[in-house]
Amino acid sequence: MQARSATRAKRIDRIATWTITASGLVIVGSVVGILLLIVNVALPLLFPPDSVRVQRFSPAWLGDPGAVLAIGSDGYLETGYVLDTGGVFTFFDSRCGALLERVRLERPGVAGATVAGVEVSGRLDHSLRWSDGSLTVERVRFFPQFDPEGQRHIAHAVERLTVLPPAEGAVRGTARVTEAGGTAAVFLLPGNRLRVVQQIVEEDLFGELTRESASYEIEDELPGAAGPLLLDGSGRWLFAGTDAGYLLRWALTEEGPRLADRVRASHEGSAVTALAMLIGDGSVVVGLEDGSLSVWFPVPAEPGSFVRVLKSIHTLAPHPAAVRRIVASQADRILLTVGEEAELRMHYPTGERHLLTLSPEAPLLRAGLSLRANGVIGLDAEGRITVWAIDAPHPEFSWKAMFSRIWYEGFEQPGFVWQSSAATDDAEPKLSLIPLVFGTLKATFYALLFAAPVALFAAIYTSSLMDPRLRLIVKPTVEVMGAVPTVVIGFLAALWFAPLIEDKIIAIFLFLLLAPVVLIAFFVLWERVRGWPPLNRVKPGYEFLLVMPAVLLTVVLSVAIGGVLQDVIFGGDFRQWLFQSFGTQVDQRNSIVIAFALGFAVIPIIFTISEDALIRVPGHLRAASLALGATRWQTAWRVVLPSASPGVFAAVMIGFGRAVGETMIVLMATGNTPIIDGSIFNGMRTLSANIAVEIPEAPAGGTLFRVLFLTAVLLFSATFLVNTAAEVVRERMRKKFGRI
Amino acid sequence: MNAPQIADPIFQIEGLSLFYGEAAALKEIGLHIPRRQVTAFIGPSGCGKSTLLRTLNRMNDLIDTVRIEGSIRMDGEEIYSPEVDAIELRRRVGMVFQAYNPFPKSIYENVVFGLRIAGVRNKSALDEAAERALTAAALWEEVKDRLRESALGLSGGQMQRLCIARAIAVNPEVILMDEPCSALDPTATARIEDLIFELKKDFTVIIVTHNLQQAARVADYTAFLYLGSLIEYDVTSIIFSRPREKRTEDYITGRFG
Amino acid sequence: MGRKPIQRGEQLVWLTGAALTVTLLATVTLIGVVMVNGLGYFWPSTLAVARLVDGGTAMGEITQRDYTDEGDLWRIQFKVGNRDLYGADFRWIDAAAIETLNYPEDAAALEREEYGNFYGFLERLDLATVQVDAGLPPWERLQAARDAVEERFEAIESLNESVSADSHEMERIRLAILELRYEGGAGAEDGIARLEEQLAPVRADFDARNAEAAARLAELRSNTATFADAAGRTKEMPILSLVRTYRPNAMSVPAKALFYLGKVWELLSANPRESNTEGGLFPAIFGTVMLVMLMSLFCIPLGVVAAVYLQEYAREGLLVRMVRIAVFNLAGVPSIVYGIFGLGFFVYGVGGTIDELFFPERLPNPTFGTGGILWASLTLALLTVPVVIVVTEEALAAIPGGIREASLSLGATRFQTLWRLLLPIAAPGIITGFVLSTARAAGEVAPLMITGVVKLAPALPLDGEFPFFHLDRKFMHLGFHIYDVGFQSPNVEAAKPMVFITTLLLLAIVIGLSIVAIVLRNSMQKRYAGKAF
Repeated sequence: MQARSATRAKRIDRIATWTITASGLVIVGSVVGILLLIVNVALPLLFPPDSVRVQRFSPAWLGDPGAVLAIGSDGYLETGYVLDTGGVFTFFDSRCGALLERVRLERPGVAGATVAGVEVSGRLDHSLRWSDGSLTVERVRFFPQFDPEGQRHIAHAVERLTVLPPAEGAVRGTARVTEAGGTAAVFLLPGNRLRVVQQIVEEDLFGELTRESASYEIEDELPGAAGPLLLDGSGRWLFAGTDAGYLLRWALTEEGPRLADRVRASHEGSAVTALAMLIGDGSVVVGLEDGSLSVWFPVPAEPGSFVRVLKSIHTLAPHPAAVRRIVASQADRILLTVGEEAELRMHYPTGERHLLTLSPEAPLLRAGLSLRANGVIGLDAEGRITVWAIDAPHPEFSWKAMFSRIWYEGFEQPGFVWQSSAATDDAEPKLSLIPLVFGTLKATFYALLFAAPVALFAAIYTSSLMDPRLRLIVKPTVEVMGAVPTVVIGFLAALWFAPLIEDKIIAIFLFLLLAPVVLIAFFVLWERVRGWPPLNRVKPGYEFLLVMPAVLLTVVLSVAIGGVLQDVIFGGDFRQWLFQSFGTQVDQRNSIVIAFALGFAVIPIIFTISEDALIRVPGHLRAASLALGATRWQTAWRVVLPSASPGVFAAVMIGFGRAVGETMIVLMATGNTPIIDGSIFNGMRTLSANIAVEIPEAPAGGTLFRVLFLTAVLLFSATFLVNTAAEVVRERMRKKFGRI
Repeated sequence: MNAPQIADPIFQIEGLSLFYGEAAALKEIGLHIPRRQVTAFIGPSGCGKSTLLRTLNRMNDLIDTVRIEGSIRMDGEEIYSPEVDAIELRRRVGMVFQAYNPFPKSIYENVVFGLRIAGVRNKSALDEAAERALTAAALWEEVKDRLRESALGLSGGQMQRLCIARAIAVNPEVILMDEPCSALDPTATARIEDLIFELKKDFTVIIVTHNLQQAARVADYTAFLYLGSLIEYDVTSIIFSRPREKRTEDYITGRFG
Repeated sequence: MGRKPIQRGEQLVWLTGAALTVTLLATVTLIGVVMVNGLGYFWPSTLAVARLVDGGTAMGEITQRDYTDEGDLWRIQFKVGNRDLYGADFRWIDAAAIETLNYPEDAAALEREEYGNFYGFLERLDLATVQVDAGLPPWERLQAARDAVEERFEAIESLNESVSADSHEMERIRLAILELRYEGGAGAEDGIARLEEQLAPVRADFDARNAEAAARLAELRSNTATFADAAGRTKEMPILSLVRTYRPNAMSVPAKALFYLGKVWELLSANPRESNTEGGLFPAIFGTVMLVMLMSLFCIPLGVVAAVYLQEYAREGLLVRMVRIAVFNLAGVPSIVYGIFGLGFFVYGVGGTIDELFFPERLPNPTFGTGGILWASLTLALLTVPVVIVVTEEALAAIPGGIREASLSLGATRFQTLWRLLLPIAAPGIITGFVLSTARAAGEVAPLMITGVVKLAPALPLDGEFPFFHLDRKFMHLGFHIYDVGFQSPNVEAAKPMVFITTLLLLAIVIGLSIVAIVLRNSMQKRYAGKAF
């Protein structure tokens, strides 16, 4: 029976060894693998965008490829279209090339007129210039429909928005239908003159629409022959490039045109060959003969000025040869540029990121961007239509965008800005991490400024100077302090402490000044009276009980004197005074509140770890020091503290790590404004609070989602490194003193 | 080296070397250990006597870096052969340690621990074994009324005897004692020595000690080790009265060590 | 010894002592503030009626008194309630504007289902469907009417239960139809038709009962009480909507104490009202407890096994040392990082996969692919596993090596040594780790916010519906309750007392657990202290 149970025991042992080892490794591995998994979510940000050629066909229905003026596709890469000189839109299935429908446009003027030129703006508004000089604007629309089985298919339609009669003798022209429903057109007349034809639609207070027509010639002399002409979506701004490399901008006001800008887009005098507006019509993209590309938008002429002038803000990766066409996505801020050398490039202007280059085997005659900027469709001279699927899920990400100053559209100067979402789709996400990192460090700095000295001094006192019996009460009390949930601290800080000190800021500064004075006074007093009974029974090591009334007295004094000071010096309201004298705004949830609240959370950690380190210093060192005639303060300060300094350092590091990652306190008590301002009177937004604030709004898999994971990686690595360093130091210390 | 002729040895150690990593802790040791006698290993600190003792129940297996060459046979069977199970071996070769190490359990549970893990569940068998072991360890009279109390409440000498009782409760053939008295006062030491004398009636006892008088008092045979080598091994009286080796004599007369 | 105290550095001793004092004072202050604000709220405060100089009136609880710098009474804050009449709950009145201040015996305070408290005087009762003894004084008649209404309401409640059973049945059939439709295949059409046939009578029953319940409720609501405020403005309210009616000025101290206990019981057992600013905390308490229990279920075995591996089985070397430091440091990784990991891995990763494999018919509505108590507790378990590992390892390391040697020398296997000796000896340490981790988990909010906690959960994660544990459900939590009510609620000032009470409760739980852990640990230290092995 014994032998059997022994074999059984051995079998169990083998199984247990195996199981424990396996599960131990798995658990340790998976716990350590957390970082890898977070990194894994953040990683796709770094993947370069990818393009895949999904289709290529030579449709039989296509006649002369040279007659095609425009090509495009819907947002699902299912339906494509071409427009030819005959004024026919041909829709086809871009998955197989099958002909779907031909839409023949009505001729606006002379029968038999052909289309001489096309410009595409907005969401597939085609401005057609007919051979008789008239302009039409045709809008191509795609809309998904669901059949009774729930299958989606893409329906299409062509809608004529406006017809403009020919301007006499016009060489070229382009028209645009404005968002309000009006039209704007510009014609290039012989002699390098520009004529503007406008129909302005305005809605008055009562919702009545008024239409006004205007037509005028631009008087300003053009610096060089007019090149590309561009109207913005409101019909109020006209852009023109010239062959001398100038970029001009006119405001088309009711009083007539006003030249707003006349700037050199090229210092070498290279001709402007292409213009386009980014989504939202805030920025204009300029392509030059020499292949360079830049993005311009109006900024204050000088700081504080209301006059806005065009300025080159972003420079994009240049083409080797002239830029022929620029297509701006109407889904996001992606740009497709077509160069003379037959290369296509995609850019994201905000981070000046060159997303990818498409090199078709045969030069493309025409190219278009799909509606959602997820594909490119092109037609080459041999009549082949090629469809590329573009996979660029995170175009707005770049290290430059996250860590350097960026001049955002509508901002007065370049800066570090975190503004992940905005009211409109056409706003560029502003994902600079600098304000968040700054906020994190600011909160941590102020918190440690308060917590580190307090915790360290308290630890020195508890470990070396206090009566050891009291230590048995103090230690658990501080541990209880460490157990207070941070949500409680944050709540009290924001809703109790912040309003409490709002008008007592002076008292806080006073406290720092008064505390040593009152303490010394108490101390001197104590030294006089300590000899008298019954006070002579108070032993060394119980001082802090005497300090308690001193601290309380200081609090009372600070509040009282602070109130008087406020009335006498600061005219009754310190905050008002500060704002008027220095322009410093005092927020209710400011860094002082954070310093106390976050400090409260880290004091127990710093205290416990440094106290452990101090108490670990072997007793014989103390004894030796005391035996040499050192006072207990000298022993604590010159012998014990230096011996334990690695542990004390580790304590502060671990406290730092905790403060950096703390979420609830900063979420509740900082106001969460992502600003870069070191002032102690206002708040901040930290990396951790940012995650808590933004992640519920971030769609899974999107750029913001992944950027937030990236910040989590950042937080993880920072705290992990700091903690590891601290832990290695502590390990050393433990080895040094552990077994003495 | 002249080894004593031992009829029916329980251990036959031949050419035993033991390495911690690269360093040799035991070098080419050969000796036969007599059955139901007390054998003492003596020598200066670090000479390998405890290591040698621990090879006999394969406690060195627990250290990863240990490598062993040579052979140890117990009753003619190679104990380091792969078929031999260390756990089985340890049930036959019990051990008492330098520092008394009772489990933080009751006295009774300490004594029957070995039996319980061997699968004995029968209450009366356990009771009987506990009484037998405690009696054999000369502890029964002192603790019989407080078997359920914590073993940690005993005095040092009692705890060490409890550890001996715990070792003999599983009825081993051999008891290894690694400096069993080094943490005890002279009175307690004397009681343990008396106990060892009693134990050799039923068990083979191998004791490591740095106390030469103790070896002289309790051991029938004595082996002197120095720097991992077996210098001399003989009947105790010969080792202590007319050692053959100069180093043995120097050690015994206290010139070093 | 002749040196002066200053030279001896005694003043610096005082300075360090002051640092400790500040630390302790901060702790005491925090706990004190929470207790003062939290404990007092349930005590019925007297109702004051102020006649103002300008002829107006104000009635309510006096919540605050401000004094001028000279110490004179400057202004008084009244909680005037009657939000439906006045719009705001609180009103500051200058002391100078008050002509008289008195405390009428018959001033009544009403807790209501909606619009917060009402303060006023009982005007009349209009009892349409319930009968009470007309001979009673008005206030007692109101109490009797409330009892009668309550009784009828319970009957409607039981009707509502069968309505909800019907609704669950309908949902079950609907899901079954979806599943069939998703799987398709032969016979699916028949199956769907059959299920729809089943559905029809249930739906009819549901509609009928629902209508009946609504009708009876409307009938019951026609029993009203009319109260007048101090200025005489009247408000007619269904008796059913009155949660509590009392006249604090007429209450004796024992009556008030009883009232207090009743409120505490309501806090612990009832559901919240008025977007969490009134009523009870039961779902939040339940959610917190269940979360912590689920978390322990995952983290204790995992943590103990990992610690046993590291301490007893792994070969000590550089790798193990590195792993140990890594594990130790994971305890310092910000909890929000765990939260985001939980979201990315558990919710979207594991949860999304489960949905695709097992609940494809419900997509795109997620079942497990959204935050829920399971994912939240797993996230918390990951967060607390390092604590358990560290503490368990420490407990195992503190066991002297001689114990292991002795056990092995007796022929025990490693597992026997572990199971019969080491784990029992280390048990207090393991329990300490467990208690510490539960304390941490109970107080942790940040990771929950992104893995499944909600301000108001429609159902508990544990109920009588099969399969009883609904691990996919969202849940409420005390810590989040504090954040939500204190910061997201539309009327923060009125919600404050509730937040303080929640804080008090959470603080009591967490500090209680911590004290248990501290006591356990200290007793363990004593056990080995001074014992030579």
